[in-house]
Amino acid sequence: MTISFPRSLRLQDFDLRRIRGVSQAKALYRFIAGYRVIYLAALAALAISGFARSQFATVIRRFTDDVLLAQNFKDLHWYGLAFLGLAGVAGTCTFWGSRQAARTAEGAVRRLRVFLYDHLQHLPFARHDHMQSGDLIQRSSSDVEEVRRLLAEHFTGVGRIFTISSMAFLAMFDLHARLALVSAVVIPISVFVSTRFWRHLAQIFFDFQDQEARLSSLLQENLYGARVVRAFARERHEIGRFEAANATLRHRGRRMVRFHNIYWPSMDLLLATQMVGSLMLGSWMAVQGEISVGTYLAFVSLLSLMIGPIRHLGRIFALSTQSLVSLDRIRTIIEERREPLHAGDHVPESPLQGDIRYENVSFAYDVPASDTAEGRRPPAVLHDISFTAAPGQIVAILGSTGSGKTSVMNLLLRFYDASAGHIYLDGVDLTRYPRAALRRHIGIVQQDPFLFGRTIRENIRYGAAQEVSEEEIQNAARAANIHDSVMSFPKGYDTIVGEQGVTLSGGQRQRLAIARTILKDPKILILDDATSAVDAETERFIRDALQQLMQGRTTFIIAHRISSIATADKILVMDGGRIVQAGAHAELAAQAGLYRQVFQLQTSIEAELTEELAAAGKPPPPNGLAPGLQVQRDSG
Amino acid sequence: MSAGLYVEEEEFSASFSGPALMRLLKLVLNYRGYVAGYVVGVIGLVAMEGIHIYLGKRILDEGVIPGDFAHVQQLLILWGLVSVALAGFVALFIFCAGSVGQAINYDLRKAMFGRLQELSLSYYDKTPVGWIMARATSDSRRVSELVSFGFLDFFWGATSVVVFLGFMMWLNWRLALVMLFIVPVMVGAALLFQKHILGQWREVRRLNSRITGSYAESIQGVRVTKSLGREQANLTEFSGLATEMYSASYKAAWLSALFLPVIQVIAAVAVSAVIYVGGQQYAQGFMTVGAIQAFIQYLFWMLFPIQEMARVYAQIQQAVASGERIFALIDSIPEIQDQPGAKTQVSLRGDIEFKHIHFAYEPSNPVLTNFTLHVEEGETVALVGPTGAGKSTVVNLLCRFYEPQTGLIEIAGQEVRSMTLHALHSRIGMVLQTPYLFSGSLTENLRYGRLEATDAEVREAAELVGADEFIRHFPQGYDTDVGEGGALLSVGQKQLISMARAVLAHPDIFIMDEATSSVDTLTEAKIQAAMQTLLSSTTSFVIAHRLSTIRNADKILVIRNGGISEMGNHANLIRARGYYYDLYRKQYRDEASRDTDPFFGSKLTYA
Repeated sequence: MTISFPRSLRLQDFDLRRIRGVSQAKALYRFIAGYRVIYLAALAALAISGFARSQFATVIRRFTDDVLLAQNFKDLHWYGLAFLGLAGVAGTCTFWGSRQAARTAEGAVRRLRVFLYDHLQHLPFARHDHMQSGDLIQRSSSDVEEVRRLLAEHFTGVGRIFTISSMAFLAMFDLHARLALVSAVVIPISVFVSTRFWRHLAQIFFDFQDQEARLSSLLQENLYGARVVRAFARERHEIGRFEAANATLRHRGRRMVRFHNIYWPSMDLLLATQMVGSLMLGSWMAVQGEISVGTYLAFVSLLSLMIGPIRHLGRIFALSTQSLVSLDRIRTIIEERREPLHAGDHVPESPLQGDIRYENVSFAYDVPASDTAEGRRPPAVLHDISFTAAPGQIVAILGSTGSGKTSVMNLLLRFYDASAGHIYLDGVDLTRYPRAALRRHIGIVQQDPFLFGRTIRENIRYGAAQEVSEEEIQNAARAANIHDSVMSFPKGYDTIVGEQGVTLSGGQRQRLAIARTILKDPKILILDDATSAVDAETERFIRDALQQLMQGRTTFIIAHRISSIATADKILVMDGGRIVQAGAHAELAAQAGLYRQVFQLQTSIEAELTEELAAAGKPPPPNGLAPGLQVQRDSG
Repeated sequence: MSAGLYVEEEEFSASFSGPALMRLLKLVLNYRGYVAGYVVGVIGLVAMEGIHIYLGKRILDEGVIPGDFAHVQQLLILWGLVSVALAGFVALFIFCAGSVGQAINYDLRKAMFGRLQELSLSYYDKTPVGWIMARATSDSRRVSELVSFGFLDFFWGATSVVVFLGFMMWLNWRLALVMLFIVPVMVGAALLFQKHILGQWREVRRLNSRITGSYAESIQGVRVTKSLGREQANLTEFSGLATEMYSASYKAAWLSALFLPVIQVIAAVAVSAVIYVGGQQYAQGFMTVGAIQAFIQYLFWMLFPIQEMARVYAQIQQAVASGERIFALIDSIPEIQDQPGAKTQVSLRGDIEFKHIHFAYEPSNPVLTNFTLHVEEGETVALVGPTGAGKSTVVNLLCRFYEPQTGLIEIAGQEVRSMTLHALHSRIGMVLQTPYLFSGSLTENLRYGRLEATDAEVREAAELVGADEFIRHFPQGYDTDVGEGGALLSVGQKQLISMARAVLAHPDIFIMDEATSSVDTLTEAKIQAAMQTLLSSTTSFVIAHRLSTIRNADKILVIRNGGISEMGNHANLIRARGYYYDLYRKQYRDEASRDTDPFFGSKLTYA
């Protein structure tokens, strides 16, 4: 990895795959690898801070006994300074400890973010097919944030409460053991009560959030359906629906208020009971002379230091539980296996020829039962696919949805591997090529290509392995017939594509993808050749751009209409995962079969149209053929 | 889901708006009872805390030091009673503040939703749904938090400082004067500090939305990444972003961590002063041991309220900005409103007249210029033409979703502006190209057309458009839930439902905007037959691609370049050999291929 880290980022190369298959506690332990010492030191600092704060009581005790009651004022300033000194130590330790905890949390989470990002782009395509992108985004954003909170806030929160309470207890124990033990009675009780209460609140809160989400989707529906609401004059009806959900939300919100309404006062009363009991005992001892007045005072101040923070434990426990669920959700992604990009022994030294041979290739997807249950169509299966494509040839694949066209091409890219048979590229078995090297040589142009939300320049440069100059980018754009359109934008090549910038038309997007592929300069090309959605002029532009691109490359055209592929060197007609016919247009048109059937259909449609127009009262058009069929290939 | 859903947090001006803050305060005053409750609760709470500490002083001075345990017992009983009162005040203020918060959140959402129902469609064209959603969710929540616990905490903090200083004054005014000097420093430092911290956290949130955006893009574009072999380059880029995030959030975190120690150290300076000055005062007989102890306690009990005050102070600006945006939404004035005295009951049976209409969505880009059209009662008018030429605009104007800049529209001799929007829309049935259903059952969606329709009528309408057949195939039939936005149905099914919904409304004018584009041919033929009676008796506007629909229309309008470029029936227009002639030929081929060519329209389905 060529990334340089700031000095404060330790061990960023730790491979998070090592938290696979271990218990949650162990996973957490490994998760902070490289930060363990710092994290422990941070907790120790918090403990020292707690200790310093508990020693305030000592200063107060001695101040009362040795100065005030002893009427000895000459050391007065030393007590003031001692107090200040302790506060200084406590403050410094708290700050340093929190700072180190933050460093651990942020560092470990940075590593997690980067790892997840990389992991997701390395998961095999089969996995991406079966995961909801919204869910993945949620896991890598809000769940990661939860884990950050766990480390930065919840763990240190528990640590802080624990150290302060226990240091106060120890200091108190040191003053008077019996008094300390009696005063600690409330601790287990309040931990128990607090934990129970907050577990209950978590449920109430969940209901509240649930209703909040429902209200949001109601509103969203109303906004998207604004036209329908207006068209049917249903505004009042909608207000009624919203009102009901809104009132429910208010009701649930009030339930949360009621909970806090019970929790905090009862906790206050519980602690007050302990205070009264302890004070009673303490003052009695002081009156009896068993403890000094100063000790009594120290005891009083330690008492609130010890039991005050306990109230917050339940809340932190409830939040931690939530965070741990998030951690598990992230771990299920980490458990997924990556596809090896660089495994393979054959890295071609000279440029590829682009000679492709499928030999009896069969393929079946490995579909988890849960996915088919959700109503997804199980992807096609391939049977016994064999064909060859010589360098520079154009091979068209024709077939209906589900016939297996996509799968044939997915195998070539090694998005999936064949279950039987072999694919050879330049005479070498495809599985011997490392995936990364292989994909460098294959370019895809889709009908509706995915562009990234960045500048046009970056989108064009996106696929190039090498450094490219501005001139090369513009040349590629010219070859793809998109340069003029780009220049018509006020910001030219710096125009940002997508939501934050300019919305491009389908034809423009397609041509940008062509420019991107020109720069990538692959030896093999896959064209999702659909131009039916664009107008005639755009279609011509795209066709010209594609002609440019196809020169000297082995090209596969995924075809949708016969009219656009009549000039291919070879046409594969697919049906039900098999190649049912193969050959050039003239051959196939002469053979009985699916191809000729469809071809004749086209011709008959033209005849019918002519008739129909004639019936409407005018002579037929001079040429009966559809424009698409007249396209000639202008280079061989 | 798209990357665009992750809209960056809106920036707001540095100075906050006084009027908006006043308006927020006024909102709170709608709940005077609760406000009174929470003022009483907070003052009571602070007073009880003050008394607690004072009782601690008396226990020490009057009981423990003189050795009078009976008196200690009396004072402790009093102490316990004060605790009960304190718990009561806590309950009171939580109840009141919580209720105000919930109530105001409810009110704001209600007011916004009500206003959104009145706003014209042009508002929706200009305003992204995400923006409105943010107003109704996060902004509304932020405002209600401010007006409930925010104001409360601020008030609590200020009251604590004042009341405890008062107690100190009473115990020993000389030492209290020293405190009067230190405490404001503490408060000032806390306020400044928190503002700074909040700014840093805002930076973190901004980066966080960029990170989420990156994830979204990477996941959605994974195929491109894989086929272009961009993994390493992407990783390097993302790694840079993650490091930026690390630096920003680390800084924010340690700044926050610095806050508390700094305040505590300032407080310790105050305690040292108490020890030093208080000791001298004691030596001179102006103070008791208990009073010194009480001073220290008062100082400690001020810390938390001051922290809270600072937190609220830092957030006020943001919450007021949220309030401003909400008010902007609530105050938006609908562009199209009912005129005074508009008729609430109308019949739209009669001729329709568009007179010299000029219309543009944006002034620089006119859609219709001097558009004039006469439609006789009962006619079926088909509108054809290129995308964006204004076909939908014609029907939008008829429905008064938009208003023409000049010119007027009359239905049955009455100007559309002379009737209420509700009256007009109740008599028009509209079927849209992108049929939108609401989550709920099929019956509920169908009944949207006429709320009082009986089950039998609902079924009849569904049968008429041929929806009954697929509905009965669902295990739950008419009670089947359609999912959010109708997501559980196919587009074709949604179109049928929205068609039935419009039929059920028994409209005087029927509008179909690409209504059956995703329905299969067989079903379409059935609908055609069924709709024939309806179309022949009702004035209808049809924007369609299907030749069968267009061919049978009484009038075909070709809308191009801001007006009608061709008009007539099918035969006339074919003979004219213009735009319609070309369109017809292209359409004919497409339709014929779609119906018969097994490969037509099948796509390479990449992720």
